[in-house]
Amino acid sequence: MARLPGPHRDDAPRGGDLTCPDPVLVARDLRKDYPVGGETVHALRGVSLTVGPGEYLAIVGPSGSGKSTLLQLIGGIDTPSGGTVEILGTRLDTLSDRELTRLRLLRLGFVFQRFHLLPVLTARENVELPMAEAGVKGPERRARARDLLAYVGLGARGEHRATQLSGGEMQRVAIARALANRPAVLLADEPTGELDAATGHGILELFRRLNRDGTTLVVVTHDERLADEATRTLHMLDGRVATQTTAQPPPRPAAPHP
Amino acid sequence: MTGLGWGLKSLGRHPLRTSLSLAGIAVAAAMLLDMVMLSGGIEKSFSEMLLQRGYQIRITPKGTLPFDTEASLPDATALVRALRADPAVAQAGAVIGTAVYARAGDSLVTLFGYGVQPEAQAIYQVVAGADLAPDDTLGVLLSRPAAEALGADLTVGDTVVLVGRLDPQVAAAGLDRALVVRGVVRWLYDYRGQPSVGAVLPVMQRLARSQAPDAASLVLVRARADSAVPALAGRLRREHPSVEVNSVADLVLHAKRRLVYFTQLSYVLGAMSLVVAVLLIGTLLTITVNERLGEIATLRAIGVSRATVVRQVLAEGVALTLLGSALGVVLGLATARYLDAILNSFPGLPEAFSFFVPRVDTLSRAAVVLLVTGTLAGLYPAWLASRAPIATTLRAEAT
Repeated sequence: MARLPGPHRDDAPRGGDLTCPDPVLVARDLRKDYPVGGETVHALRGVSLTVGPGEYLAIVGPSGSGKSTLLQLIGGIDTPSGGTVEILGTRLDTLSDRELTRLRLLRLGFVFQRFHLLPVLTARENVELPMAEAGVKGPERRARARDLLAYVGLGARGEHRATQLSGGEMQRVAIARALANRPAVLLADEPTGELDAATGHGILELFRRLNRDGTTLVVVTHDERLADEATRTLHMLDGRVATQTTAQPPPRPAAPHP
Repeated sequence: MTGLGWGLKSLGRHPLRTSLSLAGIAVAAAMLLDMVMLSGGIEKSFSEMLLQRGYQIRITPKGTLPFDTEASLPDATALVRALRADPAVAQAGAVIGTAVYARAGDSLVTLFGYGVQPEAQAIYQVVAGADLAPDDTLGVLLSRPAAEALGADLTVGDTVVLVGRLDPQVAAAGLDRALVVRGVVRWLYDYRGQPSVGAVLPVMQRLARSQAPDAASLVLVRARADSAVPALAGRLRREHPSVEVNSVADLVLHAKRRLVYFTQLSYVLGAMSLVVAVLLIGTLLTITVNERLGEIATLRAIGVSRATVVRQVLAEGVALTLLGSALGVVLGLATARYLDAILNSFPGLPEAFSFFVPRVDTLSRAAVVLLVTGTLAGLYPAWLASRAPIATTLRAEAT
């Protein structure tokens, strides 16, 4: 089994380093309101959470409970109506659009339900994309993309177009893409939502291995199996954290984290 | 993966749509190319045609242009002698143009006759046989159409009987002159298929009907230096106020004034083709961007900057423009050739004259304009793409 490719950039935070005392992510009293047809929908009603390095946090709840909205706010792709988000001590509301984009590029990894790979690019090129944006040189980029694809079990599929891959393979490429710039935390929104049970199981295994290898994970899911893997689970209801359960202590990384 | 490479790959997502758009851009580019060639081509072609033999000045009867009317210059020999004595003049030669006839069996064939001074001529090139000697009063030169009109087997060494001063209304015989064919020539200013013959100036002066003795239609002057042409033309104007003196540049200006509608037409159609290209590229990219908003929102979510998104969309516009333009060049050159043949068949236009002439400077300018146009056409869709709200778009994609 391939190991999660390293080494780290010197300036990159080691999200999975359990010796690091600082939390990777802190959200305080997050609120999000949407105007709908002249009325205001309160999608989030004051959610606070802290995610430590190496943690595997699952966010579960019924549709409309605000879990995806929460993920978008802590991922800096939407702005809260109230409250603050800090990633590695940086408050997102103090950043310009360009700085926020850069933070998402270098500190956060995103996995979406619908994969959203560029269909005209190969799997390797899709993985290279965030690295190219970050200014990583070609040879280093290609080598790391190959390593990441091997890690997610697609070493032999690097030169296949995204359209030539199955749903499970596309999600694996999307995960490799999310890991490309060695993020401090990987945010996943229903990563098995588009997959059948068997394929979803493969993704579940991959997430388990990622976390074991030191990746900090925040996963929004309906998939109970995926939630069961988490070290902590937030149960959302009506825009609030209804309950919070901790399954086991955070695991120590088995391998250096990207 | 560069922006352009990505752009090219993105265009391959919908091959049929892209092909149709490329065809449209190619047609617009071809039209622009043709209009650019037309706008500058007349001037270039006319200038090159007049300067083929290096004679930069034309002297014609007052108020006329060469072969514009049947008016003639009197005392041509004296005028030519005076010009040849001018230190700024390298060579000068008179030409007379007149209608003549040739006997072909029992019938008469109408021809156009040139009287030339072979030692100073700028109106023909020998393509077979020999040129006339300056004092060859027994020789004649034929164009291929004239040779064909007089008999398929007519060749160098055969005799042709030219008839001048004939009144065609009453078919009264005028003056017959038997001449030996010395050579077959290409008359530089003949229209396509024009049957023309040439003899030395005195012979054609005698055959010319209703012309004063020693008359000429024009005198050609070659200056010693190109740079001296404007000054020489000006001086000749002052020294010979009874005649019209025009440099080639003056004649080109006259031609441009007469054919100004071609230039205006080319500007209007060229501008229209640019607008069509902008609309095509802009529409295609806007549709493409709208289809890919989810993908673009994802890219933005994973940290791809607005600038990269803008570059990528613009690159698609540039890729479309480049591909369409490449096709447009082929199409444009083919249509220019076809249109040139049509326009060239208009009566009275020299066969050597071309309306559509490719010029490196104007074509380069057209290419730059097209490229800028393609880029500008991508601005709105690029702006649209860069401003796509990430969260809202992703939410819409998920439902």
